[in-house]
Amino acid sequence: MTAAPTLLTALGLAIVAAPLFLLGSFFAAFLVDRRLSEPTTGRLVQASVVTGLLAALAAAVVMVRAGIAQHTIVLGDWTITPSYHLKLAFVLDLLSLAYVILALLLCGIIGAFSTRYLHRERGYSRFFVLFAVFLVGMVTASLSDTVETLFAGWEMVGLSSVLLIAFFQERPSPPRNGLRVWIVYRLCDVSLLLAAILMHEVNGGGDFDHLVGQSAWPAHDPLPVSPHFTLLGVLFVIAAAGKSALVPFSGWLPRAMEGPTPSSAVFYGALSVHLGAFLLLRISPVLDSSVWLSAFVVVIGLITSAFAYVAGRVQTDIKSALAFASLTQVGLIIAEIGLGFRYLALLHLLGHACLRTLQFLRAPSLLHDHHQLENAIGSRPRDEAVLWEQRLPLPVQRSLYRLALERGYLDSMLDRYFARPFVAFFRALDRQEERLADAIDGSRTVPVESRDVHPSRP
Amino acid sequence: MNVAALPLLELALLLPWVGAATVAFVRNPPAAARFSLAFLILLLTAAGAIALSLGATGGIRNRTFAIDEVSAPMLPVLVLLHLLTLLGTSKARVTPALCIRILLSVFVGLAVVTCQDPWLLIAILALATLLPFWELRSLGKPFRVFALYMSAFVVFLGIGQFLVGTGNPALGFGLIILALGIRGGIVPLHGWVPRLFQNATYGSAMLFVLPLMEVAGAIRLLLPGAPAASLNAASIACLVTAIYGGGMAIVQNDVRRFYANLCLSQTSLVLYGVMTHTVNGLTAALCLWVSASLSLAALAFSIRAIEARFGRLSLDRHHGHYEQVPGLAVSFLFTGLACVGFPGTVGFLPMELLFAGSIDHGLWVSFTLAIAAMLNGIAILRAYFALFTGRRPSMSVSLPITRIERVGVVIIALIVFAGAWLPPSIVASRHRVAESLLGVTPSPGDH
Repeated sequence: MTAAPTLLTALGLAIVAAPLFLLGSFFAAFLVDRRLSEPTTGRLVQASVVTGLLAALAAAVVMVRAGIAQHTIVLGDWTITPSYHLKLAFVLDLLSLAYVILALLLCGIIGAFSTRYLHRERGYSRFFVLFAVFLVGMVTASLSDTVETLFAGWEMVGLSSVLLIAFFQERPSPPRNGLRVWIVYRLCDVSLLLAAILMHEVNGGGDFDHLVGQSAWPAHDPLPVSPHFTLLGVLFVIAAAGKSALVPFSGWLPRAMEGPTPSSAVFYGALSVHLGAFLLLRISPVLDSSVWLSAFVVVIGLITSAFAYVAGRVQTDIKSALAFASLTQVGLIIAEIGLGFRYLALLHLLGHACLRTLQFLRAPSLLHDHHQLENAIGSRPRDEAVLWEQRLPLPVQRSLYRLALERGYLDSMLDRYFARPFVAFFRALDRQEERLADAIDGSRTVPVESRDVHPSRP
Repeated sequence: MNVAALPLLELALLLPWVGAATVAFVRNPPAAARFSLAFLILLLTAAGAIALSLGATGGIRNRTFAIDEVSAPMLPVLVLLHLLTLLGTSKARVTPALCIRILLSVFVGLAVVTCQDPWLLIAILALATLLPFWELRSLGKPFRVFALYMSAFVVFLGIGQFLVGTGNPALGFGLIILALGIRGGIVPLHGWVPRLFQNATYGSAMLFVLPLMEVAGAIRLLLPGAPAASLNAASIACLVTAIYGGGMAIVQNDVRRFYANLCLSQTSLVLYGVMTHTVNGLTAALCLWVSASLSLAALAFSIRAIEARFGRLSLDRHHGHYEQVPGLAVSFLFTGLACVGFPGTVGFLPMELLFAGSIDHGLWVSFTLAIAAMLNGIAILRAYFALFTGRRPSMSVSLPITRIERVGVVIIALIVFAGAWLPPSIVASRHRVAESLLGVTPSPGDH
């Protein structure tokens, strides 16, 4: 039995190393200026995902057989003083293994699907590079044992998601939507960063086991109740809300559908959108420390679920409809976490991620089948279901419809109250700066577009 | 061979002068570039040897210049920064005068970080302002803004040091802080930075701004004697600059002004760490000094390569250059993200150290730092999307990445990603330096 921890460490490292190997291969090809062929890329993806998945499954078997509920692997420890240190550490437990197996399984499926779906697409290599970044981020976040490790994975997932939203980069709207999503992500990442800093203050380190005790998830030691814990919990909830598109950050979700279908499936149907729920599961003992915090989580979850249901009713494209359907379930999962049903939430998450991946991947061919069906019967299939909305008074119906169509006015509020004043303020400062410098220099600054496009010096 | 026995410090300080003198006799620009490159590589070797031999020698001391734990790691960084600048200058635009300026600039950098005598340090910092001034004059560009700010910098620094030496340290240190604030582009004393990037050549502007000589000045002239109240006020100004620079970088439509404001935001974080006059803050600042200089220089490398192909670019529309220069697009993205401390890059650990250390000053400070990081991250991606996404412009000539640019990109990639795994011993050594600079006795549990 003494060999089991060593074996687990080796397997844990293999899980992390497999996607890193994939990313490293792409990076090496970039450095030596070699373009990998489609079959080579496909084989590399499959090899790394399968290796990681087998290692994760083996780790699960070893843990069950050896009766080990939790195993920690420390990769780097930048200890400066006992109260000032950063640690790169991973943990193998029920939650992390379940999520990493899910991530590797779905990424394997999506990888195999994408090699065919994106065949001869101009951005084929770019897609798989971003896919590799996403995989590294997802594995890192899933197995993280410290908040710094989680943050590293979290950011990688965010960046790869955004760049995949902008995948069809010749069109104007994907990069624009990608940037909007990035802004929301960064805004909520501030919250995660602050939570990390506060964890150092509360615990003297970023380790989750310092926060919740040595017991394996979901059990935990009793936590001291302090105002810091509630604040910490709120910060984590905001971070989770951004990543999982919970209200009031739901506006970015339909924008994320600009990316290719496989990325939509794996990111917004299955893994990325559940990462917020995963974070709340990981820090669930913090939620338990305050009834108000738990209630807050339940309310956010239910509001998100209701909003997503209503907004989803009026979507006219299948990916947006699926995205809102996904969000409805994510809201329920969040509410379950707030209510303290950890196992239920985990099972719900796993099942929902698998189902939604299937639906997203089926979406393009389903439309094709639908068209064939319509052609065969000569008309559109009749929808005879009576919707409950039709029982509402007409003015309420209209208001609800407008609300759903405008996606709760969340984007327009963000524009009106944050983005425009921000830009106006800094543009005004910029103009003042230019004017002052022009006055001192005695010359006027020429806008860059009016300048000679090939100046004499760079 | 005993490396410690070699006169490495003298060699490092002499080589740039020998290089500049040699290049002055060369009329052929490509030959001048080759000579300069050879001298910079030699210098990099010497600087690397100095940094590596520090543990064995315990430092190299001359009368006025010294290699200690503050300066040793900065020497290769400064040379690398100049090397990248030379590599990033397109062949058609290299002139012997530019090569001489680069070599003199590297001397200034090395002299500033190794100089132990305050008055000599002030003299070198003052002389360093002449290099961009010389260029602005020779290009016929407006120079009054630069001249005004730099005159104020030199005057305040000189008077401040005089007052510190003559029994009025409070006012003296205040003037020194003001002078370093001007040099570091701390809001509202920053007006010269965007202007310099707009009017001077990119290379000269970045060589003047990126070595962060104000940080060396602050370490040598302010610590540990400066009054806490003055340093606290300066640290708040640095925080304001971090936010201001980030916000301004987001709304810019000119790539150079975007870069200038990004520099302001990032470099103010380094100065913030110094001004906190706490061990944790200073440790983070010493690490961030290295990572910010290198990653900003690396980002500039990509921007200059793009400008060399397509001219000065605006950020108010999408240019679609990804398909033409994918290598530069990737390089732009990862160097930009390294600047803002993205995980897996050279900037991550220093930024994390800065955040972790900031809690000593209250959660609002951490919040401000996090907001600054957020704004800079948004600015980087906005610029990336503007430059590289959009409809591909039709061009009759192919503009692939050149061999020399690829060498630069490979060096940058290695710096950005290999630098992310900064050994714990290096961070611990920075912590020791911070303790010694602040005159703090190490606690028994440390390191």
